[in-house]
Amino acid sequence: MSVGAPPRAGRGRGALLVAVVVALLALMTGWSAAGVGFAPGELLRNLGSLRRIVGDSFPPDWAFWRRLLAPFLETLQIAVVGSVLGGLISLPLAILAARGVAPTPAVAWVHRQAMNLLRTMPDLFWAMLFASAVGFGPFAGALALTVFTVAVVSKLLSESAESIDFALTETVRAGGGGWSSTVRFAVLPQILPQYVSFVLYAFEINVRASTVLGLVGAGGIGMVLNTQRTTFQYQRVTLIVLAIFGVVVLLEQLSEAARRRLV
Amino acid sequence: MSRPRRSRLPGSLIVTLAVTAAFLWAARAVGFSADRFGGLPGSLARMLAQFFPPDVAYGREVVLGAIVESIQIAWVGTLLGAVLSLPLGLFGARNLFPRLGAWIKPVLGGIRAVPEILLALYFVPAVGLGAFAGALAIGVHSVGMLGKLTADVVESMDTGPVEAVTASGGGAVGVLRFAVLPQVLPEVLALWLFRFEINVRASAVLGVVGAGGIGGVLLNTLRYRQFPQAGAVVLLTVLLVLTIDSVSGAIRKRLVRG
Repeated sequence: MSVGAPPRAGRGRGALLVAVVVALLALMTGWSAAGVGFAPGELLRNLGSLRRIVGDSFPPDWAFWRRLLAPFLETLQIAVVGSVLGGLISLPLAILAARGVAPTPAVAWVHRQAMNLLRTMPDLFWAMLFASAVGFGPFAGALALTVFTVAVVSKLLSESAESIDFALTETVRAGGGGWSSTVRFAVLPQILPQYVSFVLYAFEINVRASTVLGLVGAGGIGMVLNTQRTTFQYQRVTLIVLAIFGVVVLLEQLSEAARRRLV
Repeated sequence: MSRPRRSRLPGSLIVTLAVTAAFLWAARAVGFSADRFGGLPGSLARMLAQFFPPDVAYGREVVLGAIVESIQIAWVGTLLGAVLSLPLGLFGARNLFPRLGAWIKPVLGGIRAVPEILLALYFVPAVGLGAFAGALAIGVHSVGMLGKLTADVVESMDTGPVEAVTASGGGAVGVLRFAVLPQVLPEVLALWLFRFEINVRASAVLGVVGAGGIGGVLLNTLRYRQFPQAGAVVLLTVLLVLTIDSVSGAIRKRLVRG
């Protein structure tokens, strides 16, 4: 972007590279579209079934709302447990994974790899695994969100811990403080506001995730959604989806307002 | 800033107490108990032990195909979202279109608030079981985040070139073509790649409601307690995500820097 950039040496090679990349992307797209059975024409021809599903879904079955209260409460409880428990586990993990903060580089490396491994699995995969290990229900959901929270918060927090002002840690160490007092007096005070903000952010994601955990039997409103879906009560499905939308947006606004006050 | 620090302490104490109380109440309701928590390592270890060794033949014959399908769903979905989000992001940028942007951005936020799996609940009966429904769900959901972030990129660009093109007689098309797109394209491409990484995870899950990909396979193997087969699914999914993340991450770094 700078004005004084040197002229590109191999213009021809650059153009060739772009052509190869574009061709590869086009190939990937064609292959994927064929594999997925992508057919916009089909969509237009199937307008009838589209109209039918819309007709089946509206108007929402408003009278069903009474049976949603308890499951929604459970959803919220799953999100709270997952966020708090996951938040507690994330703090030590993030500190041990942060380069320059962890006691040795080897310790940081090991914990960073553990963190990366946690991050690879989608949230519902954890829910399925826990549901089959401890049985269907909200307990499995809370465990899944705990792991998911650890994955999100520890990653973000270890990055903040790596970018703290290291002059303070030097001061503590020069004063004769060991590793634990360095963390206690120089690292923690610097990352604490971000920590709270990240946990709140994870709570937002968790509320959204906890609404669908029930689709794999891990408790909450998703369990009701699944029974209504499999028995094709789409007017009830629509009511549940609208309710989830409302709850998610509301809690997002609240949590965002809280985070803004923090930072 | 100049507030005395002491007045803050009771506040944080109240918050801590409230969070603790909420946690205890929720934990009880969710079914946390000492012996259940204590039995957790045992039951987890028992299950994971049955994952090994993973069923290689099953992995080759069933899982690989489903994983490929998940990648394809993510790719088509991301492209769909990208194509739809580009105009929305441009028109949603408040420095270019102040009035339009004021109501496009909240709509994008609303789209983002509906998880793709809920969208799939409608696309599956509409277009039939399978990958196409999944790609549509991912495409629509991606529009929300991509549109908003694209608008953010456009809003933070340098307005000098825009004024230069306008001053030399360029119209709206000229401004987009010569001032806006060249500036924002690298960052927008990086956003699309980032979304592709997210969508690989999302598409892995959609099979749970019949929208194609690997998720349905995992649900079935676990339901029938075929643990060596489930082990193959988990192992290959982890490998898939690690590969996609590292390749895509490397390209993104080059895009934003170059």
